[in-house]
Amino acid sequence: MGILIDDSTRVIVQGITGRIGSIQTRWMLAYGTKVVGGVTPGKGGSIIEGVPVFDSVEEAVKETGANASVFFVPAVFVLDAFLETVDAGVELIVVVPEHIPIHDVIKMRAYAIQKGVFALGPTTPGILVPGKGKMGIMPASLFAPGRVGIISRSGTLSYEFAGILSENRVGQSTVVGMGADHVILTNLDDILRLFEEDKGTDGVIIVGEVGGEQEEKAARFIQERMTKPVAAYIAGRYSPQGKQMGHAGAIVRGSAGTVAGKQEALREAGVEVLESPIHVTRWAQKYNLK
Amino acid sequence: MRLHEFEAVNIFEAMGIPVPRRGVAGTVEEVLLVAGEIGYPVMLKSQVLVGGRGLAGGIKAAYHQEELEEIAEALLGGEVKGSTVRNLLVTEKADISKELYVGITLDGYSGKPIIVASTEGGVSIEDTVRTAPEKIASLRVDPLFGFYPYQARTLLRKLAPGQRLLTAWADVISRLYHIFSQYEALIVEINPLAVLPNGGLLAVDAVMEVDNAALSRVKYPLPDWMERIENSLERKGREIGVTYVNLDGDIGIISSGAGLGMASMDIIGEKMRPANFLETGGGITEDLLYKCMELVMMKVDLRAIFINIYGGINPIHEGAKGIARYIREHSLKIPIVAKALGNHQEETWEILRSVGVHVVTEAATERAVEQLFELVGGDK
Repeated sequence: MGILIDDSTRVIVQGITGRIGSIQTRWMLAYGTKVVGGVTPGKGGSIIEGVPVFDSVEEAVKETGANASVFFVPAVFVLDAFLETVDAGVELIVVVPEHIPIHDVIKMRAYAIQKGVFALGPTTPGILVPGKGKMGIMPASLFAPGRVGIISRSGTLSYEFAGILSENRVGQSTVVGMGADHVILTNLDDILRLFEEDKGTDGVIIVGEVGGEQEEKAARFIQERMTKPVAAYIAGRYSPQGKQMGHAGAIVRGSAGTVAGKQEALREAGVEVLESPIHVTRWAQKYNLK
Repeated sequence: MRLHEFEAVNIFEAMGIPVPRRGVAGTVEEVLLVAGEIGYPVMLKSQVLVGGRGLAGGIKAAYHQEELEEIAEALLGGEVKGSTVRNLLVTEKADISKELYVGITLDGYSGKPIIVASTEGGVSIEDTVRTAPEKIASLRVDPLFGFYPYQARTLLRKLAPGQRLLTAWADVISRLYHIFSQYEALIVEINPLAVLPNGGLLAVDAVMEVDNAALSRVKYPLPDWMERIENSLERKGREIGVTYVNLDGDIGIISSGAGLGMASMDIIGEKMRPANFLETGGGITEDLLYKCMELVMMKVDLRAIFINIYGGINPIHEGAKGIARYIREHSLKIPIVAKALGNHQEETWEILRSVGVHVVTEAATERAVEQLFELVGGDK
């Protein structure tokens, strides 16, 4: 089980002819993902990593039956490619690139919602279902199959949590990078909803960081709707005021978006707040999660 | 990138928003000159990129020349909330009969621009939200539909400001929204938007921050982002393409991701003091990590370097070559602890071990920090 990727998921890689796009295609294939095609306008007809390349998403969908897409497109071209992908009927879109102008992101988000498309990112490592497949850049060696769901704003911290759990024989049902920008395509609470409904997931870890109010809004959802145990870690305790900590969304402005504020909101919602990533094992053992 | 008030106010003026007569001055002589042209009384406003300047004593009124010299002398070269004041904006001191508020930001959760207007200006809008929410009206703009002037009028009717004021105020909001979208801003704000005795409006403050990701495509001239970064190490970080944040400790940090870098800082910060935050993003090369080592080592009296990298999008074995080259070329003696996992991890470990780096192969950053602590101990 798990969420978002299953046996019916057929993936195209947008920007497949780029340096990162082609390497990541190789690793996604090696992990067993059904990558059925790639798209780079003007490069149609070529073959990358044994996968046919098309000029348009429409052709790729028609020829391969693709229903999911992962983006390795330069930031300034993402908006155009995204709208094209939604129009082509793709149901799941993962936007890996960072530094996409936020005035583009709000259009992407609004269009995806209007058309009922599930999209993740920007600035996401993607999705990985251990043993099944992955869309994005997550390094496969750190993950193991199991029943814990992870949602992370940070790519590297999603690897950290999965790695710690795997070392301690706790597997993951699905690991989802929610994206690290100020506006993201699908909010944290909507991803939590999928895990709550998933029969293959027994508990969920939220890996958040300073800035924005995704964690605070999620706390409300958890209080009202979640029945499964939830743990959360929030990075950035020592982040100075007003400094952007790498991610576009990771910035404390005044009293908004602090680690303490997020921890408090989550604690009030019954979430177990972890002070350090290493404590995740204890939490998993407490609920007998495997 | 946050703009200085004098930069934002120029943009507001160019887009037809009424703003005060003014001039920018970097010396007391220039201040006198500008004030002479405007006529007393004048306002002296410290040009620093932080909010709350007024409460911090960075904004003062001067009623005559002697007072002006005294204030200008004190403000110029001084500090407001930790930022050095290099310029003063000298403006006419308007006769204000009422203060309004208008601001446009991007609401992260709904993913929409949000326009906020209030009949309570001159105070923090967060305070008004708590004390007098009925004096605030807000509107979220559908990014696919866009903004039209009627929406500003609809919004303001909720505040019942009267026909004449409503018309003028709505016009300011429309112009402000145009700026917000043309400059790809994260925030534009006028607080207060002053109502003058003759009923006219005047933007007596101007706040504006533009999206760094869009700087290269905004069609209007903007200040150089690089020059805006005050700390020379942070500027150097930007130049080589990484995010560096200067801190006051003595343990250097290099991480391959923002979250991992913050978590490293948090864990190290429990027992030791980080000298910096540095995250490479997804563009690691041999050369980049060589430069990261150079940058981190520019801080004097560093006691150790902590490296935390994952090979997902990043070829960490390439990065390891850059780290090793730096250590060899500079015969680096301080302890270096590196946790490296993911694609090409074995190769990475081998390269780092060959130059004496303490390599940690467990996932938990905590374990690597324990090793660091064993090597260097707590604070000096």
